[in-house]
Amino acid sequence: MKKILLLIAALCMGNAIMAQNATLPQNITLRTIDGQTVQSSVIQNGGRPVIISFWATWCKPCNRELNNIKEVYEEWQEETGVKIVAVSIDDARSAARVKPHAEGNDWPYEVYLDQNSDLKRAMGVVNVPHTFVINGEGEIVWQHTGYQDGGEEELIEHVRQLLK
Amino acid sequence: MHFKFENKILYHSVIDNLMKRKKVLALTLFAAMAAAAQGQGLLGGHVTGNVQLDGQMSSADSTIGAQDVPEKLLLNARADILYTNGDFSAGLRFEMYQNPLLGFDARYKGQGLANYFVAYNGERLSVTAGNFYEQFGSGMILRAYEDRYLGLDNSLFGLNVQYRPVDGVTLKALAGKQRIFWEYGDGLVRGVDAEVNLGSLVKAIGESKFRATLGAGFVSKYEDDEAVPAAANPEMRLNLPLNVGAASFRADLGYGNWSLQAEYVRKGQDPSAMNGYIYRPGEALLLGLTYSQRGFSASLQAKRIDNMGFKSVRSQSGEMLYINYLPAITKNHTYAFLSMYPYATQVNGEQGVQADVMYKIKKGTLLGGKYGTDVHLNSSVVMGLDTTVTGGAGTEGYDVAGGLGQTLYGDVSVEVAKKLSKNVKATVTYAYQVFNPVVENEPGSLHHNNIAVADVSWKVNKKHSLRFEAEWMGSDSHYDANDPEHNDRRAGDWVMGLVEWNIGTHWFISASDQYAYNDGTGNYPSVAVGYTRGATRLQVGYGKQREGLLCIGGVCRTVPASNGLTFSLTTSF
Repeated sequence: MKKILLLIAALCMGNAIMAQNATLPQNITLRTIDGQTVQSSVIQNGGRPVIISFWATWCKPCNRELNNIKEVYEEWQEETGVKIVAVSIDDARSAARVKPHAEGNDWPYEVYLDQNSDLKRAMGVVNVPHTFVINGEGEIVWQHTGYQDGGEEELIEHVRQLLK
Repeated sequence: MHFKFENKILYHSVIDNLMKRKKVLALTLFAAMAAAAQGQGLLGGHVTGNVQLDGQMSSADSTIGAQDVPEKLLLNARADILYTNGDFSAGLRFEMYQNPLLGFDARYKGQGLANYFVAYNGERLSVTAGNFYEQFGSGMILRAYEDRYLGLDNSLFGLNVQYRPVDGVTLKALAGKQRIFWEYGDGLVRGVDAEVNLGSLVKAIGESKFRATLGAGFVSKYEDDEAVPAAANPEMRLNLPLNVGAASFRADLGYGNWSLQAEYVRKGQDPSAMNGYIYRPGEALLLGLTYSQRGFSASLQAKRIDNMGFKSVRSQSGEMLYINYLPAITKNHTYAFLSMYPYATQVNGEQGVQADVMYKIKKGTLLGGKYGTDVHLNSSVVMGLDTTVTGGAGTEGYDVAGGLGQTLYGDVSVEVAKKLSKNVKATVTYAYQVFNPVVENEPGSLHHNNIAVADVSWKVNKKHSLRFEAEWMGSDSHYDANDPEHNDRRAGDWVMGLVEWNIGTHWFISASDQYAYNDGTGNYPSVAVGYTRGATRLQVGYGKQREGLLCIGGVCRTVPASNGLTFSLTTSF
């Protein structure tokens, strides 16, 4: 019981601290779709906002979301300069399919593999799709789980607010 | 407290000491977090994490084989809390199973701190002490991972070090014991791994079209001796290897649009409950060839596994305490009927191939229409090894010839997705599947299934959208409650319908029904409503759930039938 109380206390502290935004973890090892190892600090956009989308080849709503965003991505980039980074959580079973999947779908995004779910864990992601809006300073300003048609409108709205 | 420590193995002093100090460590962690919280201005740092709560109520229903739940309400809960301050982080996880949801192992019953660690993640060096997850290559010699929906967690408790001396070189070393429910297995796991990306090291390669990453790993398991009788003479006990080693060699090569991945692993003599205590060495090979360009990709994969089950405790059967992970080579289907007979990796032996083609027919062409058309083809075949048994426990076990064993699984599927108008999208899928019940250790002959799925989504207006899914499965199997070879409730011909109504981006309501209309049994209606706001999601469902296998990544868990209310709350912060 004592432990549960402690945990609740820890949670409350967490909320208090969230007053200052959490930032994107810097030194988590990811892999590019060409097999190269990189640190998560490569996820940046020269001081402009970034959207990180956690996805998997087998996840239908993830694919719907990334395909739907593709249709408006050019407009988004012109308007806000935002960059989308798609982080796949596919494990060994489907990791080899990430590159063909992203290219087969003609996605204009930067794609990374998080095969050991290190970044997923570090960012507290439970299920995919899970998207984060990161401001130019690398702070997480908004996050969202799941995808329903039209969800991309809410996403870009949070990016627009950063520019105000 | 739900931690039990087995202190008899004194020579694993480092790890054991760590484990004995679990309480102390956990409290230190809390203290660190508290200090950080109080001194926000001074120390900075932030807390992130997530909370999940799943509940289930179920009452008896003889038509689907659902049992009454005496506790009325089953609850699984967990909270991950991560404190990060610069390169330093500390995390802990609380888990509760009071009592475990249907399908979760009863040994999870209880609550407490299930996982905690402190970590330093620098630019060149990463060190984690406590519970950690790690993977060497594709995981065929080592993968400590968890899947909360499968109730599977084989995290290592110990020390994990990663060092990147120069860009393109990654060295890893680890030692620890594996989690099993609320305890740790007796086996000690040690491993080292090295990976080199030639493009980062050699400038000329980095600037060329050629890409190459090479890697090698070694894992060793130590476990105390125990008495296991030999098959030839039960009076004699086996001379068990206390240390079992496994090595892996891998390459990830690319040239232009082509890439080739290969990994070969070999394991020394490892008699265990899984392989019937035979002394045959294990080996596995995974090959993948891919061509991809914008709008088109094709890939071919091949896999062969021979006696490659690798656990840290030799007497363990079931899904816990695996040191390695052997991925299934079949496609991970997501539609209900396509995944009704999922394939699970046969760690003792299998060989298979998978081919996959994706093509985007350009818009403005005859077949592409106004918006373009996506075509996706996939096929996989998995066969057993061609083995001849030569003996039981204490022998080499079997010989393998170059031919094919029995058919375990096969499928071919074609999926066409097309945007029909500005607001309507449709996907149709057809699949043919062959399934051998031996994959699930069940008797019976091959099932042949034809499956068709239509999935249509319609954006009614800016606020509302609807999704309809219709599925059909025709199977040559039939259900007979009194015949052990035919009492699988998945048998027979099925239809399914689903309607999902999305209101704005926050709410959804769905209703579905699965019905065995011929040669089968059961009718499974269910409704669900969900609410999402930011990173918080609440879903409540009511209805009947078919007994079956929940599979993720070729690892499966049996889920019994249920009839009643379920709810799930997740939030990330």
